[in-house]
Amino acid sequence: MPADAPLATITIAGGGFAGWLAASLLARALPDLAISLVEVPGPDRSLGVAAAADVLLPDDLPLLGEAGWNGPDLLRGGRAGFVLGTALSGWRADGATAFMPYGEIGAPLGPIPFHQLVSTMRRRGQPVNMANYALGALAAQAGRFAPPPPGDETVHAALTFGLSIDTARLAEMLRGDALERGVRLAGTWHGEAVQRGDGGVQRLVLADGTSLAADLVIDASGPASPLSGARDDWSPWFPFDRVASARRTSEAPAPPYVHCDAHHAGWQSFAPLADGVGELFVFSSADAPGAPAAEPFAPGCQQAAWTGNVVRIGGAAAQHDPVAGLQLHLALADVLRLIALFPAACEHPAEAAEYNRQWREKTECAFDTALLRLACSGALGAVWDRLRARALPDRAAYRRDLYAANGRVVLHDGEVLEEAGWTALFDALCVQPRKGDALSDALPSAKITAHFAAIRQAMIAAVGRMPPYQALMAQVAA
Amino acid sequence: MMAGPIRKVVIAGGGTAGWMAAAALSRLTGNGVTEVVLVESEEIGTVGVGEATIPPIRTFNAMLGIDENAFVVATQGSFKLGIEFAGWSREGQSYIHPFGAYGADIDGVKFHQVWLALRAAGLPLPLDDFSLCTTAARLNRFQRPDGNPASPLSQIAYAFHFDAGLYAAFLRRHAEARGVVRHEGKIGQVRLDGETGFITALALDDGRVIEGDLFIDCTGFRALLIGEALGSAYEDWSHWLPCDRAVAVPSTRTAPLLPYTRSTARKAGWQWRIPLQHRTGNGMVYCSRHISDDEAAATLLANLDGEATADPRPLRFTTGIRKEPWRKNCVALGLASGFMEPLESTSIHLIQIGISKLLALFPDASFPAHERDEYNRLTALQWAQIRDFLILHYKQNQRAGQPFWEECAAMQVPETLARKMALFRAAGRLFRYEDELFTDASWAAVMIGQGLMPERHDPIADTLDPAEVRNLAARMADAFRRTARAMPTHADYIARHCAGRPM
Ligand SMILES: Cc1cc2nc3c(=O)[nH]c(=O)nc-3n(C[C@H](O)[C@H](O)[C@H](O)COP(=O)(O)OP(=O)(O)OC[C@H]3O[C@@H](n4cnc5c(N)ncnc54)[C@H](O)[C@@H]3O)c2cc1C
Repeated sequence: MPADAPLATITIAGGGFAGWLAASLLARALPDLAISLVEVPGPDRSLGVAAAADVLLPDDLPLLGEAGWNGPDLLRGGRAGFVLGTALSGWRADGATAFMPYGEIGAPLGPIPFHQLVSTMRRRGQPVNMANYALGALAAQAGRFAPPPPGDETVHAALTFGLSIDTARLAEMLRGDALERGVRLAGTWHGEAVQRGDGGVQRLVLADGTSLAADLVIDASGPASPLSGARDDWSPWFPFDRVASARRTSEAPAPPYVHCDAHHAGWQSFAPLADGVGELFVFSSADAPGAPAAEPFAPGCQQAAWTGNVVRIGGAAAQHDPVAGLQLHLALADVLRLIALFPAACEHPAEAAEYNRQWREKTECAFDTALLRLACSGALGAVWDRLRARALPDRAAYRRDLYAANGRVVLHDGEVLEEAGWTALFDALCVQPRKGDALSDALPSAKITAHFAAIRQAMIAAVGRMPPYQALMAQVAA
Repeated sequence: MMAGPIRKVVIAGGGTAGWMAAAALSRLTGNGVTEVVLVESEEIGTVGVGEATIPPIRTFNAMLGIDENAFVVATQGSFKLGIEFAGWSREGQSYIHPFGAYGADIDGVKFHQVWLALRAAGLPLPLDDFSLCTTAARLNRFQRPDGNPASPLSQIAYAFHFDAGLYAAFLRRHAEARGVVRHEGKIGQVRLDGETGFITALALDDGRVIEGDLFIDCTGFRALLIGEALGSAYEDWSHWLPCDRAVAVPSTRTAPLLPYTRSTARKAGWQWRIPLQHRTGNGMVYCSRHISDDEAAATLLANLDGEATADPRPLRFTTGIRKEPWRKNCVALGLASGFMEPLESTSIHLIQIGISKLLALFPDASFPAHERDEYNRLTALQWAQIRDFLILHYKQNQRAGQPFWEECAAMQVPETLARKMALFRAAGRLFRYEDELFTDASWAAVMIGQGLMPERHDPIADTLDPAEVRNLAARMADAFRRTARAMPTHADYIARHCAGRPM
């Protein structure tokens, strides 16, 4: 094939969530492409672990909106619940619960970040609970919620939420959309492929013996992909190796946050759906003899996501520990990155190299996020002790140590948390800066206290104007 | 080392870097413990150049609570909408790297991709027509945005040109009013602690000794503290940025008053032109391997558009960066921390972001390593990003037949830049890394201006309706043209809002 032949055909390997997500978004963005999808038998591990519910982060929603999927579609199609943050129990050494809200916490005072003001006051002997200054936390506490109306410029506009979706239901909707837009369902694939020399694939051999060639192959078949390349193993860092998931229905909608509970052998989480809860149990098999049936999983990632003409997305590229609830976010990021870098020609070394660079950045940031979430916890149990006893890799250690030294948050390109998110994570897990910010420490306490009071008053008033969450959900259901 | 807050900050040097630091650090005195002093020597003087800025300087002014008009009045300043690069791609051609964006994205497709698609479809429109800053600059017009986000005027982004000496004096008044104490005198010796190697005091030639906890080295190219006393090594970048000398000369103001900086490529370097209210600043930056000092000065003088009002002043430098801009209890700012040529007016900006990093990472008296390491990590990153952008100008020249320029075109560039160029060449893609200073619009302006034309455009741009895109593009260009024509001239705008006293 000539190097500059236009790239015209795509095959997506895997008809799980990630595959249909890619099919729908690609068909919408590039209607002239000929897209085929082959299904892979078995449970949907395309995102990493098979979970009944997955979370779309706040920043994902406008991106999906631009790609053509807006909030009401997702709410309906995904039987979604709103998510204002994560409530933690069992994670802290002091036994207390904590809430990690999405979005900003408090407000800066001139150039001084809010959490530095908090740190100053705490070192002056005044306890401050950061969640008391986060709109999402206050709304969750009060059981009130309403998405801010478009164009809103009041305090309400700061309410930041994600969506917890029924993964299988939303995959159905994406599938319907993709097929309607001309994506061709080409058959079933058991993993047989004719490789090219460069790590790429010439054609896939399908179950019925026919074969399918494509200019570009998108591998969305999950961590056990037959197209897998060289892989980095993360199991030395992540001791949890079993996962089970279930979907429960309930009469009343679950409250608008994910609840995550740590226990002696691992953790479990409860994500709200419109008509129930998606549960996830993750534990270490060595620490939970006699635990109920669960699937094994092994955190790790491909050394390169894009080799030759194969782009691995979602779980086929990286299997993260699901603790930070990022697997849907990461798969979406993969698809959007592919669209942003979509090559015009069959030979595309510059695009592939850039894709891999950005993907690696993001993968490493997500790795740090999950690892620090686990390693900074004070949860009780032998597996947690082992986790904490292990030295962190340099980059994660640097993040924690810098924050613990002076409250500075390290930010890289691929960040999934941003400054407020990292602050919420560290603070929830009792990592507190030893030293204050010089400008903050130069302020009189009265000035800081007045700033705090003004923020809290405005937020409480804004929450008071929101409808009860149950009422809103009843309206959504209707 | 003791714990507790820093009691005394000593700033060595009173050039632009020293007084910017003094003005900003004066805030720290609010804790009732910290004291800020500055030492400078009139006999030694300042470097006396550094008069063009980029838009983030407005954030610095705002942080200090400085009124913009008062600042322009006090510094005989003028407004800047971008930089004209004359002869950089090839002799006789010129482009403007404007501040602000090009056009507006259409349905999520970046505007420069839309432009590339139009070009591929046989409609090669000038990219300049889609920048309001460029359009206004070419007409010598200026006006600030009016605060209405829907108006085309909101596309105006600007910075300043100012008189470096007046700027330092202006900041000095600001800092002294907020408690910074100035000592006049020449530093003869930097005293170090025998055990820790930390700086304990500066001994002045007249016998005075100035002790302190934290020292800010703003002594310019001499780098008395960070280099001479503490031995922080210098990483030489002259294989990428080969100019090593400059000669500067002021000339009389000419009309019209241009609202932009001009950089004109010459035989073995380039000439700058910075329009101020009371004079024009000029200079030539060159590579001494390719041209003699005399020839450089003669070329400069032969190419002034006003009359020279002083003798040409020679300067020498090595482009590069201090490997540890923060070492022990000393942080270097300004020329003491490294130097990149003023091609994109980034030095004062680097001082500014050095100061904000220092404030955010301000140590206590125990000087924990974390603050220093993070400061040095971020500094290295920010400098390297700017470095790559500057190298692009040299690498991507097409001035055939001139050995200096041919050497630049043949050089091997850093891997980070090579990747950026390859990606842009393939399909016009640009990604901004780690909060880098220059936006996609800036990279696109210089890449396209220097003749690095993408081989294709983003396939996404083909999904737009071509007729509609043509229409939208025509309307955008028209709105910019009309808006620019309705603006006052730069000279009139200054006369009305911020004229300096006649000098
Ligand atoms: C040719 C050229 C053009 C430039 N153009 C631009 C531009 O357009 N835009 C831009 O942003 N930047 C530009 N720069 C950079 C800019 O000039 C500097 O970043 C800025 O002026 C800061 O200089 P400084 O304060 O670090 O050093 P200096 O101005 O050299 O100040 C050093 C200070 O230290 C004092 N000092 C030194 N030794 C002693 C001693 N022994 N005892 C006491 N005091 C001492 C001096 O008296 C002086 O006060 C340019 C630089 C050059 C060389």
